Amino acid sequence: MARPMLLDVLHGILYSKGIRLGIPGGWGRLTVAMMGGHTDIVPFQCPQIHDHAMTVARVPARKYYWDVDLNLDTQLAVSQWYGFDMDSAYVDVYNYEVEALGAKMIYSDNAMPTVDSSDPLIKTPADLDRIGPLDASKGRIPMSIEWGKKLIKKLPGIPLRGNFTSHWSLICQAIGYQKAIRAVKRDKGYGKALFDWANDQVLFPYMQAYAKEGFKAGAGVDAWAAYPVVSFDIIDEWILPYAKSFSGRCKKELKMNVLAAAGAGDYCEEDPAKFDKATLFKCLDYTCETAGAKMAFIAMGRTQDWDMHWVVEYAYARGKNGKKVPIMTSLNGRYLRDSTPEEITRKVGEWIDLMGREGGLIFYVGSIPADTPPINVHTAIHAVHTLGKYPIAADLSAVKVEPPQFRPFDEWLNGRPEEDLILQARAWEPEREKVLA
Amino acid sequence: MSDKLEAIVKAIVEGQDDAAPRLVEEALAEGLPPLDILNKGVVAGITKTGELWKANEYFLPDVILAAEAFKAAMAPLEPKLKESGDNRSRNKFVIGVVAGDVHDLGKGLVIALLQSAGFEVIDLGINVPRTAFINAVNEHTPDILGLGAYMSTTMLEMKDIITELEAQGLRSSVKVMVGGVPTSQEFANQIGADAWGKDALMAMETALEIVGGRNG
Repeated sequence: MARPMLLDVLHGILYSKGIRLGIPGGWGRLTVAMMGGHTDIVPFQCPQIHDHAMTVARVPARKYYWDVDLNLDTQLAVSQWYGFDMDSAYVDVYNYEVEALGAKMIYSDNAMPTVDSSDPLIKTPADLDRIGPLDASKGRIPMSIEWGKKLIKKLPGIPLRGNFTSHWSLICQAIGYQKAIRAVKRDKGYGKALFDWANDQVLFPYMQAYAKEGFKAGAGVDAWAAYPVVSFDIIDEWILPYAKSFSGRCKKELKMNVLAAAGAGDYCEEDPAKFDKATLFKCLDYTCETAGAKMAFIAMGRTQDWDMHWVVEYAYARGKNGKKVPIMTSLNGRYLRDSTPEEITRKVGEWIDLMGREGGLIFYVGSIPADTPPINVHTAIHAVHTLGKYPIAADLSAVKVEPPQFRPFDEWLNGRPEEDLILQARAWEPEREKVLA
Repeated sequence: MSDKLEAIVKAIVEGQDDAAPRLVEEALAEGLPPLDILNKGVVAGITKTGELWKANEYFLPDVILAAEAFKAAMAPLEPKLKESGDNRSRNKFVIGVVAGDVHDLGKGLVIALLQSAGFEVIDLGINVPRTAFINAVNEHTPDILGLGAYMSTTMLEMKDIITELEAQGLRSSVKVMVGGVPTSQEFANQIGADAWGKDALMAMETALEIVGGRNG
């Protein structure tokens, strides 16, 4: 079973205000860190792990991505096995809308559904008149709604929040990235038609379906809007204005608090020779704006090669009265997968030494690759919790971090509520059960 | 350099996929040698684009548009190159996205840059079965086999392809390069690939290094 959230958050708020009723749990630790302080340890937020959790639990993709209970319980079980400070779960959000609109998809035994970009949903501008509005009874849209409702039963206290693909990423999924780029850079009339289509024909009907089911909030992700996948002119001219306008419309017409374009401007430069402080600052401003929070939020970037002094400088530059804004720092998923436990521990120590001494630090991973060795994830969490004990040791290199102790997943799962569901799923055969799509 | 060739360079750099082929046709009509149009116009344009990308002055969208313009410019030029007896001995590069994976953005860019560097590229497409890679190596005897993947689940297929190349006795005859969002140098080392292409430009530079820095 998942751990309660709401009381923990309240505990964290009181703790931050100086009312100490013991040490808060994971959500409370996160809350305190988000308010710039610290509890007993640096917290580790649960990352996006849906395909990694599927791999760890050895459940078939063809069932996992269609079965709400299996999807949710597997993610929550794996996140608890690892010992992240707070539970979380994610849907394979980028596929739902285009899949429901009839896009050709690739389904496989071991990977999430993915759009077949060789045969895009929208091939010509005329398709925009033909495709839409989104029918919320199609594809896995009903599943996404059910998923959100079940999540709050498993994680009481979190807002009932609908997930969706923000405009730019939706357009990329529907027509392909190259064509989307050409539209917004070379054929602005078509670019506008695409954004209007995404806004009016797809996303607003989707939000209406969420609202009808009682959802009060929405979160739209936009990984295709990371930097340098898009340039700043595209973010400024298209992505942010549509995101803001959409949020305003959802608030006005549906009474929903919707954040769109999350992840737009995420600094994902891959070449260390091209790292640039001014660009990083601008990117962090974008992610701050789209996250609706004043912080240094890092998600998918090649952080292992960053100069983290820049992040600290940013955090102080955006803070007030000599205090920094909180930092959510992210271990790069590929780094986590490909590094040795010793390298991971060393990196965690460097970052805590530099960014965590005064509090206001949260660890995160943008997305854990499916094939990441579990020992590496256990190591990262164990290292954060060992080296991140407050007060932080003056000389972290003198703190011995023992290898993490953990039982194999199946042994740990034995007797837990999720066990039957996961074991039954392993025996599932696609011929016996119809999938929705 | 003639004004026309300079205009072709500019059109490629600015990603004008309508102007670039038109300018190439005009240059051909004016009697400029196809090989000059290729080297001093089209290739010079994509090379300049690569330099701008490397210097952090161009972003991926700019490179995408330039690659599209390059592709469009090559359409009227390629037949003329063949007619004019362009029989340079070029190194072969077989490329494809592995089975279960349909993302071809990176592949398209890599192909454009490889072609600009003079490689003869055989594109197997996306969602390519293992056997098709093996058959292509047998058929085309390429210098390099390029494997792409976008997802951490599908990239595992790359290891199986390399294993199959070994089983078929083909491994020593071809260099294997891997690339794509979830891949890394460490991953390339783990699966026994010869090289990793971090991005399209590096893939092209690495491919050139593998074949000794020259084509044609």
